[in-house]
Amino acid sequence: MRIQLNVWRQAGPSVPGQFETYSLDDVSQDMSFLEMFDLLNEKLIKEGKEPVEFDHDCREGICGSCNMMINGQAHGPRARTATCQLHMREFKNGDTIDVEPWRAEAFPVIRDLVVDRSAFDRIIEAGGYVSINTGSAPDANTIPIEKDKAEAAFDYAACIGCGACVAACPNASASLFVGAKVSHLALLPQGEPERKRRVIQMVGQMEKEGFGDCSNHGECEAVCPKGISIAGIAMMRREYMKAIMG
Amino acid sequence: MKTDTVQKASAIRSLFSSPVGKKVLTGITGLGLTLFVLMHVSGNLSYFKSSDAYNTYSHFLLSLGPLLYAVELGLVAFFAVHAVQGIRIFLGKRKARAHGYKTYASKGKPSMQSLSSRSMIVTGILLLLFLLIHLKTFKYGAYYETIVDGVPMRDLARLLTETFQSPFYTFGYVAIMVLLGIHLRHGFWSAFQSLGAMNPRLTPVVYGLGVAIALIVAVGFLVLPLWIFFTGGNA
Amino acid sequence: MTLDAKIPAGPLESKWNQYLKNIKLVSPNNKRKYTVIVVGTGLAGASAAATLAELGYNVKALCIQDSARRAHSIAAQGGINAAKNYPGDGDSVWRLFYDTIKGGDYRSREANVYRLAQISNNIIDQCVAQGVPFAREYGGLLSNRSFGGAQVSRTFYARGQTGQQLLLGAYSALSRQVEAGTVTMMPRQEMLDLVVVDGRARGIITRNLVTGKLERHHGDAVLLCTGGYGNVYYLSTNAKNSNVTAAWRCYKRGALFANPCFTQIHPTCIPVSGDYQSKLTLMSESLRNDGRVWVPKNAGDKRPPLQIPDEDRDYYLEKKYPSFGNLVPRDVASRNAKQVCDEGRGVGTTQLSVYLDFRDAIKRLGRDTIAARYGNLFEMYERITDENPYEVPMRIYPAVHYTMGGLWVDYNLMTTVPGLFALGECNFSDHGANRLGASALMQGLADGYFIIPYTLGQYLAGSAAGGVSPNDAAFAEAETSSAEMIDRLFSGRKKRTVLEFHRDLGRIVWDNVGMSRTREGLTSAIDEIAAMRASFWNDVSLPGRQDTLNKNLEFAGRVADFMELGELMARDALQREESCGGHFREEYQTPEGEALRNDDDFAYAAAWQHQAGAPAVLHKEDLAFENVSLSQRSYK
Ligand SMILES: Cc1cc2nc3c(=O)[nH]c(=O)nc-3n(C[C@H](O)[C@H](O)[C@H](O)COP(=O)(O)OP(=O)(O)OC[C@H]3O[C@@H](n4cnc5c(N)ncnc54)[C@H](O)[C@@H]3O)c2cc1C
Ligand code: HEM
Ligand code: HEM
Ligand code: SF4
Ligand code: F3S
Ligand code: FES
Repeated sequence: MRIQLNVWRQAGPSVPGQFETYSLDDVSQDMSFLEMFDLLNEKLIKEGKEPVEFDHDCREGICGSCNMMINGQAHGPRARTATCQLHMREFKNGDTIDVEPWRAEAFPVIRDLVVDRSAFDRIIEAGGYVSINTGSAPDANTIPIEKDKAEAAFDYAACIGCGACVAACPNASASLFVGAKVSHLALLPQGEPERKRRVIQMVGQMEKEGFGDCSNHGECEAVCPKGISIAGIAMMRREYMKAIMG
Repeated sequence: MKTDTVQKASAIRSLFSSPVGKKVLTGITGLGLTLFVLMHVSGNLSYFKSSDAYNTYSHFLLSLGPLLYAVELGLVAFFAVHAVQGIRIFLGKRKARAHGYKTYASKGKPSMQSLSSRSMIVTGILLLLFLLIHLKTFKYGAYYETIVDGVPMRDLARLLTETFQSPFYTFGYVAIMVLLGIHLRHGFWSAFQSLGAMNPRLTPVVYGLGVAIALIVAVGFLVLPLWIFFTGGNA
Repeated sequence: MTLDAKIPAGPLESKWNQYLKNIKLVSPNNKRKYTVIVVGTGLAGASAAATLAELGYNVKALCIQDSARRAHSIAAQGGINAAKNYPGDGDSVWRLFYDTIKGGDYRSREANVYRLAQISNNIIDQCVAQGVPFAREYGGLLSNRSFGGAQVSRTFYARGQTGQQLLLGAYSALSRQVEAGTVTMMPRQEMLDLVVVDGRARGIITRNLVTGKLERHHGDAVLLCTGGYGNVYYLSTNAKNSNVTAAWRCYKRGALFANPCFTQIHPTCIPVSGDYQSKLTLMSESLRNDGRVWVPKNAGDKRPPLQIPDEDRDYYLEKKYPSFGNLVPRDVASRNAKQVCDEGRGVGTTQLSVYLDFRDAIKRLGRDTIAARYGNLFEMYERITDENPYEVPMRIYPAVHYTMGGLWVDYNLMTTVPGLFALGECNFSDHGANRLGASALMQGLADGYFIIPYTLGQYLAGSAAGGVSPNDAAFAEAETSSAEMIDRLFSGRKKRTVLEFHRDLGRIVWDNVGMSRTREGLTSAIDEIAAMRASFWNDVSLPGRQDTLNKNLEFAGRVADFMELGELMARDALQREESCGGHFREEYQTPEGEALRNDDDFAYAAAWQHQAGAPAVLHKEDLAFENVSLSQRSYK
């Protein structure tokens, strides 16, 4: 099928970017969205032009590398799907597709569709862990954990750190990402000793990184490839208030 | 290495300025204001019973004296904190995404994004402007007197009746009340989420309740000016 | 050169404990004076970097991705083995050891594998303490499943995302050390060369993938944790950035590369759908517990699957291996799939796939049970293929999944270059000729959390810290050579793209050094690759510039190394005149068509030494089996 692409091109962090229009004639329904970009890039290279840079790695929805704003939707139209898992059969012959990078001051553009998401790493560094040195752990079955609790913790632990929540949030807030990690560890006994410090540190770092505040738009949950619930944001707030109160 | 901002940070600063605290405050104040408008709207409805009933009601409130002042002070504080935090959140968000998207579209369910959620700042600021005019019109408006059951009191019913003869006031009010409904449609649910009280089971229930309250408040308010305008109101 | 594996003396069970008792220690105050460079932040790298930093070493860690959390380990699905014996079904350290040795077709080192089995239990403890949400029973205790045909339930898992959860655990430990200032984390950096000073590994050259700048990093030891080289086949289940470059450049600096031809082909992957295909997706092999594998009896039977009656179907695995049936090991299942496709009985438009049919399981257990067991896999399949596996049989085909070969290391995980260690999939150590399911995660974490902290200390205790500067001639020389290579890549005549070369290379390696290998095929592959290498350097078309983010440049360098590796794989496969594990030489099979091992002549690890301008030299590490007796695998 025939697809027209409006792609954001930006040569570097400090130069202005613009949209370029490309058209591809031989896109297959069974291609993934990134494979369509491979096709585009091969074409551009053959024409002596610079290919579009974009992040990708696992191409199966788990590493969180890929990040495209597709027709104004983070990771495109399909729910619970990362860009790399999106297939061209979601589109029609003749469609025009706008592709932009994640946009947030905390995620500066590096080049074309590649952005810098290291703010997420710094948030985790601020407290998204259990302080346990290697070798000091007790037997794994020492603490039984209710199956349902473990499952609930898993739902939050499933975050792939892609940043779609930030990209789609009208406020460019990182609350879902932070809420997911806070909730994952708050639900487990292992997270207990550091639960106060963790939430205060992580929320503090989120603020420093320049993300917006959360106005409860809930768009983040809709675009999250892992479908993480904004109940995690509510839990983060509870944890935070408990932590500063006492 | 990052310093431990943490432990030391005062709870007060966290409450006013952290991303969580800001929302907890808009949430608490928002719910407080919701409670106020619910009472206000039910008070207003006594006008339909009779002007005397309405005047007696407001006279009763006034007679509370210091208690009323305390409540009024609280109201001012709530409005102020609510508006200030709301505006800060808005400014923060503009800074967080200085460069917007060419195209932007919601992905639909389970997103809670709506016209309401995206226009909170607009509806909010219009409410603030409305409030200033509103206080000037009524609270600090013309002072008529009347006597009900031998007790002299302010005839607010008359002021209402007179004010809403004007199409400008009537339809202006109607418009504002619609905005208030829009504000509350997202606001009510949102406040509970801000206070950390929501989970996936409760959310649809509370959101529904919020829509109902928004409707009740908006309709409850706007029938009064419309009724006065079209029927002339209580004689 | 003689290869000394430095295996401690004593009985198998007490080698590691004895070793620990006798190692030299670095005093706590001195540790921070030692700088350890950790290349890669997968399970092996992240766990090593975090643990070494906890111990007090000064750690510099780097990875290609924009965050340490995105290393390829994140994609592992099925689970991680440990000899906990929680289900009480008779598992033990010995049994895990034995299964691993046997599964590897007796081409791995007893002492290493035994240590791995011993350590396996600590890994689970450590990960649970970090908050890894493993599956649990209703009683609240950890749940286990049987995996890859194992006779005991020893696999711990976290839904279908075990690798993700384990890696996030290690990443969180790493993040904690970054905050503490003991680890300097450098994402978006690619190692291009190893710097050897006075015979010791003392640093690396990297390319900053954002600015393009070549950087020099110096230290007291280098830990390579850079994963496997499955992408030499172009199509594989590996992440797109997985590569051999770091290991290869170390090989060129003197580290021996062992058993490159031992690669694992996983039987249950989603088949290729067209030329544009960029990678293959694995589906958990647990599917084979309930799915039945078949192809039409007659070549050229083009009827849709539902119209093919049972009498025209060939359930070839059940027929050929009555006792294991659909659950035969990976290599056997894969080879048989290839065989039926070669006979023209493959299905799908490309005729390169076989059916995996759930019809009977759904009939027997009900759709709901099947959905509960495999729902997410079915969904993933449907998302990719647009076919509903509840209604039509899945189509599967084998795909490259794991590489057992890698840098040769001794018992200390040190390569033949002193101070250069290799951990995780990039070493050759534990899986012999075939890896058991759920053992790679175990090995990566064992290496990083529990082995290197001791063996590295042993090495460093014997050498003074520091004494090397990035201005040393060796650094300059290495940087120049990297810069020259980049310049050469840009000076191609711009005829063919990197991707086209990679695709062609993949086809050659897959056809000749894939599921089954022949002398002629391997010989011709060596020639073809040599020709392709020449054409690559002449004709490659590299867009853009060096001083900016340029993924084509990154890939070009990696493809250049893959071409050299592909040739070495073919040489390795050629010299190994036997069939074992993932290495099947058609000339060496039993009358029934099964792999025929030759323990008398080939019970060794083949370690190759690079020679500039000449074919690599083979060194053999003879494998001594003192505790297990070698037997022929049989799944009939
Ligand atoms: C789809 C799939 C499913 C799997 N499922 C299982 C399973 O269920 N159980 C199991 O036990 N095993 C499984 N495996 C195998 C297992 O995941 C891997 O063997 C293991 O994760 C490898 O870990 P690692 O730490 O050695 O390397 P990797 O995780 O591959 O990490 C490599 C690191 O090195 C970095 N790197 C590479 N080259 C360079 C360079 N030149 N410069 C700088 N950095 C570099 C990368 O950025 C990355 O950080 C699976 C594999 C695949 C492909
Ligand atoms: C004084 C004028 C007002 C202004 C400027 C204002 C502004 C705002 C803004 C900007 C928000 C959104 C905050 C965010 O983005 O997170 C908000 C939320 C809210 N507002 Fe108002 N508002 C005003 C009056 C009112 C009134 C009169 C009510 C009640 C009747 C009300 C109820 C709420 C509620 C319940 C919320 C949700 C709070 C939350 O999400 O935590 N507001 N307001
Ligand atoms: C049709 C709609 C409304 C009518 C007819 C109405 C009428 C009045 C009247 C008559 C008073 C004077 C009461 C007194 O001084 O004792 C008053 C006060 C007030 N109204 Fe309204 N009102 C309406 C809507 C609103 C709305 C939507 C708000 C809030 C956003 C609001 C906020 C207030 C406040 C804060 C006061 C002052 C209360 C006090 O100081 O005790 N009103 N209103
Ligand atoms: S919460 Fe969801 S959208 Fe946000 S980073 Fe995690 S996986 Fe991506
Ligand atoms: S979309 Fe944004 S406003 Fe909050 S609920 Fe999600 S972070
Ligand atoms: S490329 Fe890994 S999630 Fe998309």
